[in-house]
Amino acid sequence: MANARPGLLRRIVRHRADYLYVAPALLVMLLVIAYPIYDTIYLSFFNTPPNLALEDKIFIGLGNYQRILGMDSFHEATWNTFVWTVFSTLFAFVLGFGAALALNREFVGRGLMRGILLIPYVISAVAASYIWRWLYHSDFGVIGAISVAIGLTENPINFLDSTDFVMASLIVVNVWKEFPFAMIMMLAGLQTVPDQLLRAAQVDGAGPWHRFWHITVPHLKGVTLVTVLLLLVANLNSFTIPWIMTGGGPAGASEIWITHIYQLAFGRIRFGLASAYSVILFIVMMGMGYFYVRALTKGDAK
Amino acid sequence: MKRRDPWRIGGAVFLAGLTIFALLPMAWMLITSLKTQFAALQYPPQWLPKNPTLEQYSLLLSPGNPVGQEFLRYLFNSLWVSFASTVLGVVVAVPAAYAFSRFRFPGRNLLFYSVLLRNMFPAVVFLMPLFIMMRWLGLVNTQASLILTYLTFGLPLSIWLLKGFYDNIPVQLEQAARIDGASRFQAFILIVMPLSSPGIIATAIYSFIMAWNEYVYALTFINNAERLTLPVGLQRFFTEYATNWPGLMAASFIMSVPVVALFLVLQKYFVRALTEGAVKS
Amino acid sequence: MNNLGPNGFSRRGLLAAGAGLLVGPGAARSAGVDAAAWSPDYVRKIAGTLDVDTAAECAKIVPLNHTGKVTYWYVGPNQASPQIDHDIDAQFWAAFAKTYPNITIEKQSFDYNNVLDKIRTAALGKSAPMVARLTLLWAPELAAKGFLQELRPEDVGYPTDEFWPGAMKSVTWKGKTYGVPTNNETMALIWNGQLFEQAGLDPAVPPATWDELVVFSRKIKEKTGKFGYGMVARRNAGNTPYRFMPQCWAYGGGALDEAETRPGYGQVYLGNAGTKAALQASYDMYVRDKSVPVSALTNTQTENQDPFIAGNLGMMISHPSEYAVMVDRAGKASGEDKKQADAVVANMRYGLIPTGPSRRAVVFGGWNAHIFKPSVVAGKHDMDAARAFVAFMTGPEWSTKLAWSGSNPGNTRGFRTSWMKQRIEQIKFLDVTTSMLTAGIPFPVIPESAEIMNIVVPDMLQNALTGRMSVTAAADNAAKQVKDLLNLG
Repeated sequence: MANARPGLLRRIVRHRADYLYVAPALLVMLLVIAYPIYDTIYLSFFNTPPNLALEDKIFIGLGNYQRILGMDSFHEATWNTFVWTVFSTLFAFVLGFGAALALNREFVGRGLMRGILLIPYVISAVAASYIWRWLYHSDFGVIGAISVAIGLTENPINFLDSTDFVMASLIVVNVWKEFPFAMIMMLAGLQTVPDQLLRAAQVDGAGPWHRFWHITVPHLKGVTLVTVLLLLVANLNSFTIPWIMTGGGPAGASEIWITHIYQLAFGRIRFGLASAYSVILFIVMMGMGYFYVRALTKGDAK
Repeated sequence: MKRRDPWRIGGAVFLAGLTIFALLPMAWMLITSLKTQFAALQYPPQWLPKNPTLEQYSLLLSPGNPVGQEFLRYLFNSLWVSFASTVLGVVVAVPAAYAFSRFRFPGRNLLFYSVLLRNMFPAVVFLMPLFIMMRWLGLVNTQASLILTYLTFGLPLSIWLLKGFYDNIPVQLEQAARIDGASRFQAFILIVMPLSSPGIIATAIYSFIMAWNEYVYALTFINNAERLTLPVGLQRFFTEYATNWPGLMAASFIMSVPVVALFLVLQKYFVRALTEGAVKS
Repeated sequence: MNNLGPNGFSRRGLLAAGAGLLVGPGAARSAGVDAAAWSPDYVRKIAGTLDVDTAAECAKIVPLNHTGKVTYWYVGPNQASPQIDHDIDAQFWAAFAKTYPNITIEKQSFDYNNVLDKIRTAALGKSAPMVARLTLLWAPELAAKGFLQELRPEDVGYPTDEFWPGAMKSVTWKGKTYGVPTNNETMALIWNGQLFEQAGLDPAVPPATWDELVVFSRKIKEKTGKFGYGMVARRNAGNTPYRFMPQCWAYGGGALDEAETRPGYGQVYLGNAGTKAALQASYDMYVRDKSVPVSALTNTQTENQDPFIAGNLGMMISHPSEYAVMVDRAGKASGEDKKQADAVVANMRYGLIPTGPSRRAVVFGGWNAHIFKPSVVAGKHDMDAARAFVAFMTGPEWSTKLAWSGSNPGNTRGFRTSWMKQRIEQIKFLDVTTSMLTAGIPFPVIPESAEIMNIVVPDMLQNALTGRMSVTAAADNAAKQVKDLLNLG
């Protein structure tokens, strides 16, 4: 070997055929991501008021960022985003994990049961939003009617037209849509837990709780991390459900970052402001992205 | 001592509750879709339709009237866009995942990470620049614009999933094929591809569902009513024009059938792909 | 045919009559209608006194053998539209094809709540259509953004003073004109006489004032259990301001000073006593009396149609086309539904929008035809073909016909045509809404108008109705937002 550590260029040339395999995927990604990111960052330094053509936009440096960080509606949306993301993820994971545990044993109709529980996940978010809007309907909704019929409440509960309940109501929809994903991931994880270990522990007299805590859980660390991160990212990015169901209302009570950005860009045509907002979102995403990539590539980077 | 295991009972109760939670909205969707428009607007509601009717379904599914024509066109468009982006997604994801799994080219990790990061960028904030870009490419108002963008949603998870799969396929199999005179590419096609078919099927299902359900891009890129996909068509059709709840529920039901059926038939591949591929460490 | 209308278009009369209608630029010529004499009788009297030859009028602008292509976006008839709208739409395209056989129109129909976003995106992405027909609230923004080609009625062969001054003002930005009004309308109060009777009210007498409307709504709710008034307070929906602003103006409020005789758009009225009174009245209905749908915060006007036709809603504010819609819906209903719907149609009444301490007011609504600048249009722009199409659409004939079930011709010569006569005979209640045209107040003609009306005003309503803020605080908050928006310290 003439050179223990060949130059980067040499190595690239030597592996040039390898790149052909990844080129299509990278190209598509680049096309769909690179320009939008550049454009978003660029626009975030400009003021684009509605009475001005976009070509006449005014450079204001970090002005948009200052404005956003000072907006009450930003602080409110930030809190809402936090609540939405954390609780959606938490409940979707807990329900999904529970279902996975319950399904992780042989019984008659297990496949069917798993299939049924997966239905919400594959249903279109648009359809799901309308279905739930109809279930929640303040005047004709069935959930309100049931709660009155069984004497739970005197009047139908106001789910979507109330600032107090709207967030919780939307989170329920989101959890309904997402728990099957957590379920299937965790189920896959559970099936990799070696049976011999569990049986050996049983022979040693370990109770179910002990077996669960000391054998199953440690085995699931990796898949749990991945699942939670995938859910967090999906929730931070989710738009369809809150937008179709409430559009961020009433009175901004269900406004999260994404709907707020959409509203600023398309409702108020403040592209500059919306771009700066998006960049703030990117920064948070990148922070999460670090953990996300680490979780997905765990034990892989050699 | 064969006592009833409290864990098992608890699990059964939990599953039952969860099933009700998962299914009740579906049930109410079906019940509403069988009501007349006025019957749907009663309070307290008719728990079961007094005069059940299939009117909405026949309206939506009969190509003889304009409503049915339009709806069926959206349905067809959705099928086409989802199918095309799924096929392309697999074509793009499979070699990339294979390369990330097998080859040790410089920048491999960096590139792999950047692929995974795609999902970090939410669709909504890119609408305007993407629209401008689609115009450069001459794709505004074409389904190609949707196929191209949808292609990228499923890629990170697909590549990650498939890579895990390939990691678990013994390299020796390919090496044996190479010794028998196959080229690297042939070995990939003839040996690796068939072994990874559960992963490929899982990837395809995932991409299909993502594409089938996508809403925001379709809303932004497509102007021509004849090229709309179902999620946007659904909205355009029933809610902006009139709040025909039974019609909306019937359309939601029809829209859900293909993906649910597809998923139910193929779900075991999905679980298997996760189990054998990505989740195993 | 140039020897048109026998009566002059009285500019003085119009000034006297129109509370919010400001006179736009243009020489005083005789052509349209006498706004001073405006009344249901007058409208009936002049209808059918004028014959028009649309092809001949258009030929003066662009030769009828012109060859070209126009891309066109509009809000066409949809599933909720009455059949007549679909028929007229079809007739329109057939007639245009006959008049200009060599001009192809590539048309796209959108729904109302999407088209503004579509247009904005398309124009920014330089793929706007050549011609679009858009609601008048949006014109100033699009003009300010530099998307629109200058376009005066004269450019398509019609004198400016044949159009309503309020409509002309809506297409004017910084002294230049950017469109031609196609149709203009005002809404009316619609009520279900049967529910009035059940509530112990006279089925023939609508609430005279907005205060009375609150009382009526409560009575209907108390006596029948049905909803009294179809309030709309959704965000991002044009329906909300069309219903709330008349109430607001009636109490002396407003967004800016648009309801004043000579608005300057330099003062914010959202925090004044009038706006607060209107907001309080809405609060009383929604929170105190619970006499309106709880879903008002997520509803658009279409969500009121179902409860109304099902006999679950007493009063709502809408176009005269609502009658055609209801007749259509009743025709499509079956069994029990049919009986209920027929009863509602038989008991459907129209009246003037209630008055208030300051005035009786209604939104001066309507649509305009615009031509987009070549720089924002995809492909080659055929300006002549575009002008020919706009001329055809905004002439007396088609501005009347296209407005058939829900509006009125923007070209006021249309009021004199025989088609107007047919409409008056055919469409119940048309005279009521038409008679309010002179009381119509246009939304502020500023680029921020869409934002104020579609976001700030609904937010104010939602803040107050959800109890997130007091009525006073909600109004003050909205006023502050608009001041910030317009940089009015």
